[in-house]
Amino acid sequence: MQATLNISNLSKSYDQGKVKALDDVSFFVNKGDICAVVGESGSGKTTLIRLIAGLEELDSGEIHIESQLVASIKKNIAPEKREVGMVFQEYALFPHLSVLENVVYGIKKSKSKKDVALETLNLVGLKGYEKRYPHELSGGQQQRVALARALAPKPSVLILDEPFSNLDAMMRHRLRNEVFNIIKKTGVTAIFVTHDTQDALAVADEILILQNGKLVQKDEASALYKKPQSIYVASLFGNTVQLNKGLQTAFKCPLKEDCCHAIRNESLTVNQDCDYVSEAEILKRTFLGTHSQLLLKLDNGEHLNVVTNEPVLGKTIKIGFNSKDVLAFDE
Amino acid sequence: MNIKHRFFKFKRDLNRWSLLLLIILAAVAIPILTIGLKLFDGPGDSWGHIVDYVLFDYLQNSLLLAIFCSIIVIVFGVSTAWLVSRFHFPFRKQLEWLLILPLSVPAYIMAYAYAGVFGYSGLFSNIVDAVGLDGFRIDFMNIYGLSFVLSISLFPYVYVSSRTFFLAQATNLLEASRMLGISEFKSFFKLIFPLARPAIIAGLVLVLMEVLNDYGAASYYGVSTFTTGIFRSWFSLGEPETAIYLSAILLIIVFGLILFEKWQRRHMNFTSAKTSKQNYSSKLRPKKGHQILFSLICFVPVCLGFILPVIQLLIWAKQTFAKVWNVEFITITLESFGIAFITALITVLVALLLLFFTKWNKIELLKSSSKLGVLGYAIPGIIIAIGVLVPSLYIDKWLIEKNITSKLILNATLIALVYAYVVRFLAVAYQPLESSSLKIDRSLSDSSKVLGEGNFKTFFKIEFPLIRTGLLSAFILVFIDILKELPLTLIMKPYDVNTLAVKAFEYASDEMVSSAALPSLLIILTALVPAIFLNKLLLKNASNS
Repeated sequence: MQATLNISNLSKSYDQGKVKALDDVSFFVNKGDICAVVGESGSGKTTLIRLIAGLEELDSGEIHIESQLVASIKKNIAPEKREVGMVFQEYALFPHLSVLENVVYGIKKSKSKKDVALETLNLVGLKGYEKRYPHELSGGQQQRVALARALAPKPSVLILDEPFSNLDAMMRHRLRNEVFNIIKKTGVTAIFVTHDTQDALAVADEILILQNGKLVQKDEASALYKKPQSIYVASLFGNTVQLNKGLQTAFKCPLKEDCCHAIRNESLTVNQDCDYVSEAEILKRTFLGTHSQLLLKLDNGEHLNVVTNEPVLGKTIKIGFNSKDVLAFDE
Repeated sequence: MNIKHRFFKFKRDLNRWSLLLLIILAAVAIPILTIGLKLFDGPGDSWGHIVDYVLFDYLQNSLLLAIFCSIIVIVFGVSTAWLVSRFHFPFRKQLEWLLILPLSVPAYIMAYAYAGVFGYSGLFSNIVDAVGLDGFRIDFMNIYGLSFVLSISLFPYVYVSSRTFFLAQATNLLEASRMLGISEFKSFFKLIFPLARPAIIAGLVLVLMEVLNDYGAASYYGVSTFTTGIFRSWFSLGEPETAIYLSAILLIIVFGLILFEKWQRRHMNFTSAKTSKQNYSSKLRPKKGHQILFSLICFVPVCLGFILPVIQLLIWAKQTFAKVWNVEFITITLESFGIAFITALITVLVALLLLFFTKWNKIELLKSSSKLGVLGYAIPGIIIAIGVLVPSLYIDKWLIEKNITSKLILNATLIALVYAYVVRFLAVAYQPLESSSLKIDRSLSDSSKVLGEGNFKTFFKIEFPLIRTGLLSAFILVFIDILKELPLTLIMKPYDVNTLAVKAFEYASDEMVSSAALPSLLIILTALVPAIFLNKLLLKNASNS
């Protein structure tokens, strides 16, 4: 399959090299794929997409879009000539233009400008809203106008910057599926930045993890979840307990010394038979609705926090896990 | 990064905006560079004499003026700002904007008015004689009187900057202080005053720049300062070289002030400490007696800085109207407004170009040095005048020698005058434009670019419609500043053109100070527009934040 976006050895720093935002990042995105960029704040996500859009200049490396070199140390194609669409975090709808004028804005000269805009508005489910102004729309509607505006010029790559961060949880889930269904329908290659791993797992074909400006892993969602390459990646996708020496003794599970091991919280079992088990005293119980959080004191005095949705009675329990669920990293 | 890498990057990032930006910066820097370069020609013949006999006076007077003015403006400015932003009292709303009005009376006009108030048949002597203290007079035309007139016309700078701070500052700090058992009064000195210090000093530095810039008031009161000294060296002694040496010393003082202001703010970002959205909208309601006292405290500076001088000018204007109101006066008024109008347009345009060329330029070094373009406002008008005069004379001389022209093209023409005004007032236009463009989210212009529009189209379609209010306030502020400007205009204006400010100065210098009233009142009347306008903006910003 042909790569729409190809990035090689991309680096960018700020403050005359003092702050490294991106450090030697290389990857590609296949045509029609949706790629999520995940990382903590300050990991370089925003810098990465701004470089792809052409809103900033790189320090070294190359960016190719549809096999055309758009940025290198010698060349920098202006954002308006890159055919990249972008949905901004705060939507960035032009406040003095109507919905239709916003969507028409980026469409290249053609007789059917207005028709294309109306068609795209129809696609995002906003037929009849053409004459409204951005401030007259709800958050979700603004989001869809922003999407329509970015899609209308038919870009090669669509970038979405934290597309759902301004919406409440209910809205978020509904809109997430809607938005990505639309994107899939248009067949555009999309790259979206998020700090919410649920978003990434739900809709991305591939997920790219950034840490301190470095690309630490790029994989499909399930592979990334099952085989994280570092504790950082593992902990991005749910609570993870690192199996230090003390815990290894408590569970009587001698592990290899030269790697780092961890277990996901959901792999811990309560009062069940499994490979490694430890008696534990419950020090504190916090009721959290669908589940409860337990602070445990293990055999050898080690403390452990566990989240469980099973009813737990009594003062002591058996806590354990299976060897197949242990995650191992070379660290 | 190696040198080759840097070179490629530089070559990639260099665009036409970088070059245009460089041209603007160079044009603004020329007057100051000229002063620096001319220092190498050596001083004039009288330099030795000046150093031995008068330089100390200049330094001493300027220093004393700075100290006296600082004390008065802080007392008037901070106390009134605190009262109007913290308490309820009768006429608080009216006083809130009345306190800005003294800014509409230029210092030299304030000086004329007070010379009248304390003069032999002035208001003061009439009152004193009426209460039976015959013959008791106050000699006002000295450094103390000068400090007073400068302070009373300039204290609103400190008032505005402190009030902006008080309005933006969250109440919860003060509430915490009160809960810890510290009274409102004590909290002010222990907490609010130290917190407001950067804001107060920022306003104070503006006042001191104006004090150093003043020529009209100091020369009328016969106090020797750097500015009057520079004038005398050039026009009485005919020694431009000496004037340039004095200018250089004054420049060093001004740059010292700028650095001091930057230094005192180095670790302080108090205002941005967003602790609570609630501000002084919930004002305290003190006892009735205190309320009346507060009204009086706020009324005193309004009376001294606006009502009293305006009454004096009105009395004079009535006496001299028949003499002053003639065709010449109307011509001068039109010329004055015409020059201010055209120059304000050009200045706003240049400020706009400076702002956007900086944005579009991609070379870091140029981006960070673009602030130098707005230094002009800190530099006394007289220095800019000399900095423009010297090279323009040089170019004119060269053009005549080469037989390209037979008369002066730049010197003593509107071209040189407008150029000098633009250099001096660029910052006045730049600041409102910058702040209104900062309010536009960066993603708006970014998304326009991603949607396929270049810098220019993005500017006209997105940014321009959104900064229109900024453009208007920039224009009005520059227009008024040019109308009020005296020292620079006095030196640079063409022989056959006159302005209201210069005409008022000429009347006063020719012992016809009462005739200066009419042009002065016209200037004040025009300057009232932004005084009220500024207050509205301040209130709007406070309610937005």
